[in-house]
Amino acid sequence: MNIVNGADSAEGATAVIGISFGNGNSSIAFPAKDGKVEVIANQDGDRSIPSVLAYVGEDEYHGFQGKAQLIRNSPNTIVNFRDFIGKSYAAIDPTYSHRSAHPIEQDGIVGYKIVLSSEEDAQPEFISVAEIAKRHLARLKDSAFDFLGKPITGAVIAVPTDYSSSQRQELTKIAEAAGINVLQIIQEPVTALLAYDVANNGVFSEDRIVLVADFGASRSDGAVIAVRGGMYTVLATAHNYELGGSALDQALIDHFAKEFEKKHGIDPRTESARSFAKLASEAEVTKKTLSASNSATISIESLAGGFDFHSTINRLRYEMLARKVLDNVASFVEELVHKAGLDVLDIDEVVLAGGSSHTPKIVSRIESLFPETTKIEAPATSAKALNPAELVARGAAVQASLVQEFEKSDIVESMQPVVTNAPHLSKPIGVLLGDGTFATMLDTYTAVPIRKAKTFEAPKDGGDIIIEIWEGDSEIVTKGLEKPKENGDGHGGNEEDDFDEEGDFDDDEEDEEREKVVKPVTKIADAGLKGVKAGAKIEVIINITADMKVSVAARELGGQAVRGKIESPDVVK
Amino acid sequence: MSVAVLPRLPADRTDKDAFVSYSQLSAFTLRSIEPVGPQYLSHARRALRGRTWSEDER
Ligand SMILES: Nc1ncnc2c1ncn2[C@@H]1O[C@H](COP(=O)(O)OP(=O)(O)OP(=O)(O)O)[C@@H](O)[C@H]1O
Ligand SMILES: [Mg+2]
Repeated sequence: MNIVNGADSAEGATAVIGISFGNGNSSIAFPAKDGKVEVIANQDGDRSIPSVLAYVGEDEYHGFQGKAQLIRNSPNTIVNFRDFIGKSYAAIDPTYSHRSAHPIEQDGIVGYKIVLSSEEDAQPEFISVAEIAKRHLARLKDSAFDFLGKPITGAVIAVPTDYSSSQRQELTKIAEAAGINVLQIIQEPVTALLAYDVANNGVFSEDRIVLVADFGASRSDGAVIAVRGGMYTVLATAHNYELGGSALDQALIDHFAKEFEKKHGIDPRTESARSFAKLASEAEVTKKTLSASNSATISIESLAGGFDFHSTINRLRYEMLARKVLDNVASFVEELVHKAGLDVLDIDEVVLAGGSSHTPKIVSRIESLFPETTKIEAPATSAKALNPAELVARGAAVQASLVQEFEKSDIVESMQPVVTNAPHLSKPIGVLLGDGTFATMLDTYTAVPIRKAKTFEAPKDGGDIIIEIWEGDSEIVTKGLEKPKENGDGHGGNEEDDFDEEGDFDDDEEDEEREKVVKPVTKIADAGLKGVKAGAKIEVIINITADMKVSVAARELGGQAVRGKIESPDVVK
Repeated sequence: MSVAVLPRLPADRTDKDAFVSYSQLSAFTLRSIEPVGPQYLSHARRALRGRTWSEDER
């Protein structure tokens, strides 16, 4: 565990934090030295803190201690409430609350009936989702204060892309009630990407298309994001509220329950709430072990009917049990690419977020969907990968450090539609080279205003040259290969894949290769440059204003520029 | 990628040192930029305060 002393990390007498608030877990991070961010451990030493509160008599248990109460005291244990915030009772999905305190409605408010006293005849009292969320956030803030040893003056909180504006408002209100000054609410997938961009590049990030897939506990979320000039535009999002770590847990729960039943004639899933909770808790631990090791043992004292349970399982067996879930993971990602109107070849990078992205098979299944040129950011593929469960908290901390000096009114102003809504290019703009190829200067989805300069070369002996500005279009071309690949697994997955009976990669055995090319389609303008020196460097600048006025300047470095304007398109789609 | 070498000016071009515009760009699409990251803050300054690129050394 990486405990940093608050005093020698972030400078200054106060601190800002980034908060990831999941249905399953929450994390907090803060801007440390040298533009780095650090994740905070709570008082129990946990960096991934279960979003759980449990009540035993007058005592409140939070985090892992709260989650442990699911075994002893499930009706008084509250889990999975983040998505309930700002929703009516009719709109919530209580699926993940079946084994804990049930959400109910009172006076039009969603909440729980909880015993909050140790008195013998204590009656359950109503406690709203907003109150629970407030207590949870206050606990997180306290942990940050204890860790950093200085007052927390502001926080950036990330929410899923399907969080409605009324949910965002309600969450802000709740956080303020918990004593947290909310600097900004931002979207989870963009936040996760920001964490990588800052860790990899400092302040500047290359133009590319990134798919962020977040596999959490109760749900899976994804977004396709165009990165242009360091700015992020979400092209498509997807959500699946049944797919996540709980579905993987369930595969193991069912497997072990059947094994136990065969031996003892008792199904621990139905025997009692307690036996189910014990099995579920250990199944999750076993699942996590299988992310790091090839086999795991499970051992539960007095699981049901007074019998203990001991078993072992290897990773391959687990992956077979989880096959359906893993298939759904793969199709979730494929559908998201299609939803964005893109091809897998258009995706330059995949960022895997959420605790379940620790699962090696999730990573290899997704990896097999993309060409080798697509960079996959996950612990299973890159030693430098960040912890997927911590990405959102880290990115939120980065954003907190960026906005901390601003007045709240300035932050609010910068989020207005007049600033966020911008015309984006629908086709790439580039320069036609001597060999007939298209050199992209501004790619599709670039937002305006934008200014881009690029340097080209004159023919070796110099002379009169022409700079042709074209609009292009990308195309997928298929070319036959001399000999078929030996095995379709383009990424050389781990050995176990070879045992995979049905073979994930069988549909890959193609003897042709698909490739993306950008072709010049429409000539927009050209500029002649007379008598340039031998080996001269030619700079081309394209400038597009916020009202879509396009101007071009081309010059030999050190020489006079030829300038011109391009008629701007009269429509915005 | 090969070296980005520009083509020669066609011999029959009359105006040698000139800019000629032939057609307009395709229609832009209105989309929403995420208010996140360091470059966005510069974008917001440009949009709200009318700052130009040169005033805005990045
Ligand atoms: N090492 C691991 N291997 C496999 N799964 C893991 C590992 N670590 C955590 N998980 C799983 O990740 C899930 C929690 O992920 P995360 O903390 O991202 O969820 P969340 O954001 O709180 O949930 P949600 O997105 O559903 O609101 C749990 O199902 C947990 O079991
Ligand atoms: Mg999540």
